[in-house]
Amino acid sequence: MTELPLREPTFLILTALAAGPQHGYGIMTDVAQISEGRVRLRAGTLYAALNRLTNDRLVEFDREEIVDARLRRYYRLTPEGARRLQEEVDRMRSTTTIAARRLRLLGNTQ
Amino acid sequence: MDNRLRTSDADRDRAVARLRDHFVAGRLTAAELDERLAAALNAKTFDDLRRVLADLPEAGPSQQEPRRLQPDRGGLERGYRLLLACYPAAYRRVHEEEMLAVLMTAAPDGKRRPGIGEAADLIWGALRVRCQPSRNGAEPAWRDALAVLRLVLPMIVLTTTALQLTWVALFVPRAFGHDSPLWILNGFAASFALIALALLRLQHAATRAGAALLIVLAYLAGETYLFGGGFFSGFVFAIPGPYILLALGLQIVAVTASPGPQRGLQLMTWKRAALTVIAAAAVAIISYPLTLVVIPVICAAMALSSSLGRQLLVLLGIPAWPYIGTPLYGSLLAPQMRLNITPLVRLDTALGVTGQAYLLPAVLLSLFAIAVLREFVRSRQLARLSR
Repeated sequence: MTELPLREPTFLILTALAAGPQHGYGIMTDVAQISEGRVRLRAGTLYAALNRLTNDRLVEFDREEIVDARLRRYYRLTPEGARRLQEEVDRMRSTTTIAARRLRLLGNTQ
Repeated sequence: MDNRLRTSDADRDRAVARLRDHFVAGRLTAAELDERLAAALNAKTFDDLRRVLADLPEAGPSQQEPRRLQPDRGGLERGYRLLLACYPAAYRRVHEEEMLAVLMTAAPDGKRRPGIGEAADLIWGALRVRCQPSRNGAEPAWRDALAVLRLVLPMIVLTTTALQLTWVALFVPRAFGHDSPLWILNGFAASFALIALALLRLQHAATRAGAALLIVLAYLAGETYLFGGGFFSGFVFAIPGPYILLALGLQIVAVTASPGPQRGLQLMTWKRAALTVIAAAAVAIISYPLTLVVIPVICAAMALSSSLGRQLLVLLGIPAWPYIGTPLYGSLLAPQMRLNITPLVRLDTALGVTGQAYLLPAVLLSLFAIAVLREFVRSRQLARLSR
């Protein structure tokens, strides 16, 4: 099944959730950590992306807790979401492998 | 607590009380309340109860406390709530508390009000959420409004064009001085274009065709208005006024938003279609000033009853603007442009009778009054239900 490639924020959110169910703020800090500070998600962007992912059934609601008298809602990856992430990883891996091989050849001939 | 344990009457009653609180707070509609009350009263395990309350926040004293525990963050929270108000109501009902929690947690101590970047991000997020289909698969309201608009615009334009040309043909026989009867087709060119766009099922082809047509028509209009006529100046009725250009632009947007006419046909009942045609015909034929105020206000009142209608009104206001605005600001436009605008509705003569100054404010005030009255009635109904 060929679908459009995932945009980076979406990819990072799915990666963050692949570690287990997380809440909004947890996802934000996890994404910052995974991208080594390069991608800083804000609440508006995060929740718009989560809304779209939920509609596409890649992500679903896990549970709710009250922490520090505030509502905290956890999200988790669906099997479909895991499959989609795996597809994207495979796609990127094959591309990066080819690029790395060519760069090595380039390095060897110089 | 193990969720497979059985519930007691007291547990079920607590869940029912919380459901009622959520209904009064506006998080559930009456139908949802009924459904969930039934589910709660039939719940046998805590799992069942949890499912009934799954997407509702915990009510009760614990949520009142944060405002007392951190008093100096009140301004920041108010600022965030104001920004979150940009999100659609249904979305807010489910997600507002959670988003607020994330925003407040992410905000460093001592922050007084939301930053500009945060504000822009939240507004942008609100726009994106409004464009996404909602959870139960229904298209968002703006998409529905554009889908209906795609069918409504050609109907209005066709009705008014046909009536105007008939009038001119019957009562002003020497108007044109053209021998060829093809001038009639020129007058309908814009209507046919809109109808074709409405019915075309191929999304990208329609958009491209519409854009090409718009460019051609814009060139023709520019020729006439700016240069006083050019190569095509003989085709008087093919030169559209700003009404047609705006309508065409809006139609292209509507066509892009919904790939086929199906959704519009689903929403557009025969009754509504008939009403639209009759209203457009009445406004086009009867230039009596009272009609011009009464009919739009009646249509607007009917439209305001649904969120779809409200959005349609906003969208239809766009092509209507030159016909409301031009007589008001006519003195600012070049004399050449004023003379060349051929209104489909004889607003300019009608306005000369009623007085230009107060037509637009009168219409807007009536719409506002009707909207306020409806909200008032609806809130009284809700209050009566919750008792």
